[in-house]
Amino acid sequence: MNRNVRHLFYLMLSGFTIIIIYLTYLQAYKSEELLTHQANKRLLKWENNVLRGTITDRNGQVLAKTVSVKGAKERVYPYANITSHLIGYNSLRYGKSGIEKRYNSELLGITQEELLKNFVTRVDEEPGRGNNLNLTIDIELQKLAHKLLGKDRGAIVALNPQTGEVLALVSKPDFNPSNIDKLWQQLNTQQSSPMINRTVQGLYPPGSTLKVMTGAGIAAEETILNKTYDCPGYLKVGNYKLNCTGVHGKVNFFQAMAKSCNTAFGLMGLELGKNKFFNLAENFGFNQEIPFDLPVAPSRLADLTQLTDQELAQSAIGQGRTLVTPMHMALMAAGVANLGKIMEPFLVRQITSPEGRVLREINPQQYLDLMNSNTTANLTRGMFEVVKSGTGRGAKVTGYDIAGKTGSAQNPHGVTHAWFIGFAPVQSPQIALAVIVENKGLGGKEAAPLARAIFAKALNKEVK
Amino acid sequence: MLLATRGKERELIFYSILFLLAGFLILQQAGIISSFPVVHIAVISIAFLGTHGLMAYKRNNSDSYLLALVFMLLSMGLIFLYRLNPLYGEKQLTWMVLGFIVLWFTIFATKEYDKLYKYKYLYIILGLLALLTPILFGKVVGGAKSWLAFGSIKFQPAELVKIFIVIFLASFLEERKELLTFGTRKFKFLTLPDPKYLGPLLFMWGLTLVILLFQRDLGTALIFFGTFLAMLYAATGRLSFVLTGLALFVLGAYACYLQFSHVQTRVIIWLNPWPYIEGKSYQIIQSLFALGSGGTYGSGLALGYPNFIPAVHTDFIFSAIGEEMGLLGSVAIMLIYLLIVYRGYKIALQAKDTFSSLLATGLTSMFAIQTLIIVGGVIKLIPLTGVTLPFISYGGSSLLANFIMLGLLINISHKDRENYE
Repeated sequence: MNRNVRHLFYLMLSGFTIIIIYLTYLQAYKSEELLTHQANKRLLKWENNVLRGTITDRNGQVLAKTVSVKGAKERVYPYANITSHLIGYNSLRYGKSGIEKRYNSELLGITQEELLKNFVTRVDEEPGRGNNLNLTIDIELQKLAHKLLGKDRGAIVALNPQTGEVLALVSKPDFNPSNIDKLWQQLNTQQSSPMINRTVQGLYPPGSTLKVMTGAGIAAEETILNKTYDCPGYLKVGNYKLNCTGVHGKVNFFQAMAKSCNTAFGLMGLELGKNKFFNLAENFGFNQEIPFDLPVAPSRLADLTQLTDQELAQSAIGQGRTLVTPMHMALMAAGVANLGKIMEPFLVRQITSPEGRVLREINPQQYLDLMNSNTTANLTRGMFEVVKSGTGRGAKVTGYDIAGKTGSAQNPHGVTHAWFIGFAPVQSPQIALAVIVENKGLGGKEAAPLARAIFAKALNKEVK
Repeated sequence: MLLATRGKERELIFYSILFLLAGFLILQQAGIISSFPVVHIAVISIAFLGTHGLMAYKRNNSDSYLLALVFMLLSMGLIFLYRLNPLYGEKQLTWMVLGFIVLWFTIFATKEYDKLYKYKYLYIILGLLALLTPILFGKVVGGAKSWLAFGSIKFQPAELVKIFIVIFLASFLEERKELLTFGTRKFKFLTLPDPKYLGPLLFMWGLTLVILLFQRDLGTALIFFGTFLAMLYAATGRLSFVLTGLALFVLGAYACYLQFSHVQTRVIIWLNPWPYIEGKSYQIIQSLFALGSGGTYGSGLALGYPNFIPAVHTDFIFSAIGEEMGLLGSVAIMLIYLLIVYRGYKIALQAKDTFSSLLATGLTSMFAIQTLIIVGGVIKLIPLTGVTLPFISYGGSSLLANFIMLGLLINISHKDRENYE
């Protein structure tokens, strides 16, 4: 019988062991996740005790801070609507968004390392302090981009192609995060959806801006310098007629780009064939989540079964089932600028302790390797022509060489979306961007001038 | 020389008293209690050390760790109950004092516990009657009709009955051990005990279960079932019995699931509580939040927010401890329970006769199963059941019953070692 009793003990022992293991899972591994869960009221109590960290732009300008107002704490956003989507809101009732959400643990100082330290300060009746964030954003560029979009809906993304630092991130319509509690109902029922961050969550047909990708596909295949395309003003694909923006006659690659010839690029798409085109798109970042501090909706296109010749020709010129985010297009421009390598975009450069000690420094990292320098050289040449003599003349800035591509994306809601993507200066690119103005008209007329203003400001100040 | 024999125990008890001192000090600093409770600490210390002294004086040779381990649990429980609400603390203290009296009484009265053996049928009948009383006269508390109320004092007979059942089982099994092990019949490929030997046992056991189910006290039913299987296995060593029993359990559990809507609820919130955070799974979610928020080191005594959990002073006190004492604290508590289980089984192994061994095995198994069930439930490893955490949860009946169990184990241990010096 003794043997049996021993067995029983082993049985109970295993039960206890399993519990201990599961406890470790809950209290060590899952601790931060459970502590920072939206429904965990401890955080509310805690937030009242901790001074949330300050968020600054790359030059130290304060974008968000917590101040004491008559004993209570208040989160203040000096630039309100201008940085609304990027910083996000911080509401006790409705939660958080943007950087306030993504870096909540750091701003409250509740990563595991800080946990113990802040508990100790709590006992001392002194409010604990969260950590501060230093962003890559340049508030001057951000202000300008915000002003340029005016009353229109749309988005502007500007970044440094060599490092991936995001310099400006504007989405309109916007909101005032300081009043989020009062305005919540209204904001969420508005038809224009001001709460959506269009730079990373807005999915639009790219229109002719995607010709940069199609062009890259062809340039990688063969030497394109001598190839010509014949444009009678349209392209016949089976029973379907793809209209062109004009009758361009014989054009080479660079002219096709400059004039944004649909016929030529449609032919290029067909030449690549659906398999190569689809692979090209996936290599360029389609159908995947772009790594970034804020969640980015994956860009998508027709899948292989849907890529008939008609769909293929349309996709090659950025129509059809193709949908992209402005962030993605800015990254594509950056890729061309940076000799084929897209750097991972990021918003936070540094996290510092309340005393000023650097806790974490984020370094540039490569995200995708799209093409070789030969291809980028050819694409750059084409994009340079776009601005010099083609549809993108509106983006010209005296004294600097600008490369870009316009787009006028057809969409189900009426007037075309006006797009412009590009980078400057060509010789050593400091800034790459994407501008989209919803339902406004032609890219060259409505989006290129916005890009021009941004380039001018950025280059004159020599953004570091 | 008297005291030297239980030296280890004395040493460990001092730690418990130190813990109490530190705990009350913190509670006072945090403003939860208004003044340092000198009287209370004195009372507890007298209870602890008094028991220890009494044992030494009587040359009680029982296991020297059991008392100390239990006292540590009592201290932890008391501090936390005071932390949650000093009123609960006070009440629990009163029950504890009563519990010590019961402990001494048990040790004294059941020295010749093998005499218990003779009255087995008496117990089972008393036990069943006791179980029935709440149904007939009792109050419904928390969906379970298992409580008797005398004024403001609530009592749960099922807790005491558990002990009766174990005593009954021990003597029954001891008597019929060989019969059950070898008097088997084969049902196809299954070797089962011959029903005529098992008969009365199954009848009693079945009746108990039915009553418990009627009272909606599924947790206790589970403990009974588990203890029965454990003791059966200890007595016969036949794995097939246990497996059959488990199969019956699964069937029974499934039937309960189909029959009782609150069982269905319990299973739903166990499998995925997240969609019902504000509704039916509020309690278990808050428990998880408490445990997780504590992290490895805990938030510190009186610095957490355990009061977010409903019924935190009874079923969920473990989560409160987990939050404020962290992973280190919760694992430490589990280890103390494990050590008690270990000592209990050791007593069973060293017992000189079968009845003693079975009794010790039964009591220890019951204790272990109860602990595993409640802790497993509050951490969402298994569905929640409404049983208490022994020696720590708020509740007089549970406390008294556990003290009786402790007394019995001590007597078994002492008897076995009577002639050691």
